Amino acid sequence: MVEPQFIPALDEKMNVEGLNVFYGAFQAIKNANIGVPDRRVMALIGPSGCGKSTFLRALNRMHDLTPGARVEGSVTLDGTDIYAPEVDPVTVRHRIGMVFQRPNPFPKSIYENVVYGPKIHGENNKNRLLEIAEKSLRAAALWDEAKDRLHRSALDLSGGQQQRLCIARVLAVEPEVILMDEPASALDPIATSKIEDLIGELKKQYTVIIVTHSMQQAARISDFTAFFLLGELLEVGTTSDIFTRPKDQRTEDYITGRYG
Amino acid sequence: MVGAHAGKAHRDERIAVAVLSTCSAIFVLAIALILFYLAWSGTKLFFVDHVSPFTFLFSSDWDGLSGKFGAAPFIAGSLVATGFAILVGGPLGVAIGVFFSELAPERVALAFKPAIEVLVGIPSVVYGWLGLTLLVPLIGRVFHSGGDGLLAAGIVLSIMILPTVISLSEDALKVVPTSLREGSAALGATRWETISRVLIPSASSGLAVAVILGIARAIGETLAVQLVLGNAAVIPTSLLKPASALTAEIVMDMGDAPDGSPFQHALFSMAFLLLLIAMALIVLIRIALRRRA
Amino acid sequence: MARAIAPPAPLSARLSGDRARSRRIVDRIATGLLWTSASTVVGLLLIFVGYLFVKGAGVVTWHFLTGSPSASEAGGGVGPLIFNSFYILFLTLLFTVPVALCAGMYLQEYAGPGRFRDLVQFSAESLATVPSIVMGLFGLLIFVQTFHWHFTALGGALTLTLLNLPAMMRVTQEALAGVPATLREASMGLGATKWQTVLRAILPSAIGPLTTGVVLVAGRIFGETAALIFTAGASVSYGKSAYDFNPFHTAETLAVGLYQTHREALVPDADAIGNGSALVLLVMVLAFNVIARVVGRRLTIHFTGKA
Repeated sequence: MVEPQFIPALDEKMNVEGLNVFYGAFQAIKNANIGVPDRRVMALIGPSGCGKSTFLRALNRMHDLTPGARVEGSVTLDGTDIYAPEVDPVTVRHRIGMVFQRPNPFPKSIYENVVYGPKIHGENNKNRLLEIAEKSLRAAALWDEAKDRLHRSALDLSGGQQQRLCIARVLAVEPEVILMDEPASALDPIATSKIEDLIGELKKQYTVIIVTHSMQQAARISDFTAFFLLGELLEVGTTSDIFTRPKDQRTEDYITGRYG
Repeated sequence: MVGAHAGKAHRDERIAVAVLSTCSAIFVLAIALILFYLAWSGTKLFFVDHVSPFTFLFSSDWDGLSGKFGAAPFIAGSLVATGFAILVGGPLGVAIGVFFSELAPERVALAFKPAIEVLVGIPSVVYGWLGLTLLVPLIGRVFHSGGDGLLAAGIVLSIMILPTVISLSEDALKVVPTSLREGSAALGATRWETISRVLIPSASSGLAVAVILGIARAIGETLAVQLVLGNAAVIPTSLLKPASALTAEIVMDMGDAPDGSPFQHALFSMAFLLLLIAMALIVLIRIALRRRA
Repeated sequence: MARAIAPPAPLSARLSGDRARSRRIVDRIATGLLWTSASTVVGLLLIFVGYLFVKGAGVVTWHFLTGSPSASEAGGGVGPLIFNSFYILFLTLLFTVPVALCAGMYLQEYAGPGRFRDLVQFSAESLATVPSIVMGLFGLLIFVQTFHWHFTALGGALTLTLLNLPAMMRVTQEALAGVPATLREASMGLGATKWQTVLRAILPSAIGPLTTGVVLVAGRIFGETAALIFTAGASVSYGKSAYDFNPFHTAETLAVGLYQTHREALVPDADAIGNGSALVLLVMVLAFNVIARVVGRRLTIHFTGKA
């Protein structure tokens, strides 16, 4: 168990209290408590299977889509519990966006992919949609490569480009928090570094929580790091603290490579 | 180093390959023979009896026993009945395919699926019988008509093509990767929005195949429509008046047409026309599938 | 890399009640419609089955099931028709299963991608789309006219064979495809030839789904009508014992008989006979369905040890 968070003097964007996640009888997340600071990057690290992705998915109610999954505890966004009965999960996912491990663009054009979200939320004006598309693609560092092929299929893009398209797609709905589940793990090193640069820019405006299996990546891009082991959130701190002065022996073991 | 055992095994292998490939070739031979024979008999009306194909296809003057061979009433009837079936059964079948693929919890699917399987298995003559004894009187009461006609045929056909359309639609949807569903949900879409804006467009070629096969089933259906159509060789002007269709006419009059008579030749021409339509649908399906790749 | 990122637009307008609420409503309506569609179809089925049972139950007596049809009086039975249905089914399976099984094995295990394979696949698809009445006419041309057999059970069975070959081949292909690749690898790795692998390892493993498929196709064969009317004939000997094992005699099946009952309607209880026949056909279909699943599962357990 880890003491609840101590992030000094920063606004808390999200707060997790007493989070338990069950798949059937199996408990995947045990009593997680953590505060997520606004407009910073928080990395979730830990060996594979330790529950990082499960935890992440609890933050935008993706478990609602999995039959047999049960979530207990509270997850608040700006003070409101997203699991409260009167809250519509659809609006939750509007404010908390998610980028997945493997790029999953729709089999539509680049343009249609990006404006999918705004169209659903009621935006019909062609000009405004084009503006949104350009703005989001620029923010995702894809505009220059995409502007001449907006109406060609998104599936023609390279893996790295598709992932940036997925990021643009999320940005187009103007979320406040962006969850990223190992966004670069399926990409080559050059594409990966582009995504990492992008994250550095995104945090100026969005709160980013990123699951990563690479400690080096966490060290490079995150402000705060949380360590998971076997479903438990063992330790949280600033990235430099976690990597240089971890408080828990198990954290230190993981960081020094005793298990992967 | 090849022992006797291995020698026998290899000889068996060669025999097996010969037998198996011959059996496969039977398929090719069969369809070739069918095409040939139907083409040969189907064109006798034009080459031997000197009836013009134009007359056959577009004239509505039909009296088999006295030499009038305008088959337009039957062609029109088939088209209308099939059109009705696909307009009703098509969307309904796709909807239920969506239901099974996206909505139904396991227990409900387990309960409903056997029902679909039984629907497939019901012989067409039983559908015709049900149409005759249940549906036609019902239509007659509701619409104050004889009850038989294209409405009855259309309804029966809609039900008959449902299992085909349902299972093919469901298959087409199941193939769409889950990551697309997650991506759409993560952008804040409702389930229906995901289905209508992402899943159905992504599965469109598979759904097209489902519909085309439904059409094929409908246009080739014989017994069920013959029993409820009323069999009047007129161009259909109403869904509630007796009409006819290509398949119905063939099964009704083949027994009465004297061997070798132009009447019989005309019926063969109708059969040939049906065969051509079926082959055209196959080509359409191949086009639809190629579009997916 | 300096990129201008504009500050987020105000969220309140987009998140507010109206739009979100109407989307929720649309979602709920759509969900309701889909549930209704599915339930309607299930309901229809129940109506059909119920109707046939209600109308036909009184008619289906032992006498009905075994007695001979009557030419003009009430009280005829469908015994010979049922016999003919099974007989023709038996003959059809006799031809269909071996050919389709072999062809399926060939396509699934032997044929590499290429012209022959495409040709066979295309032929099977085409054959599957031929309407049953057209197939019946083909049978008429070949067996009845060209071979001068006139109406025969054999002619009917051969026509039905052509009609069902594609379905049976698909059954075979799917059953074989369900066998894991590791099984093939293990067998070939032990030095078996392909044929030995197919015969001894793959077929036994696939026998459950194979049997299920065969029995299901058999159910469809049992109910086939259009292809039989002009090949196996639509008449049965009245009166005398019509349980005829001669494949070269006319053989009217139960399904064809149901059609004839309506067409000719010579006997005063034609409707009742029709209802009874329809019920028997329905029950047979249900029986075939159930047997297919049960036997299939049993065989799978027996041959592979897993449920």
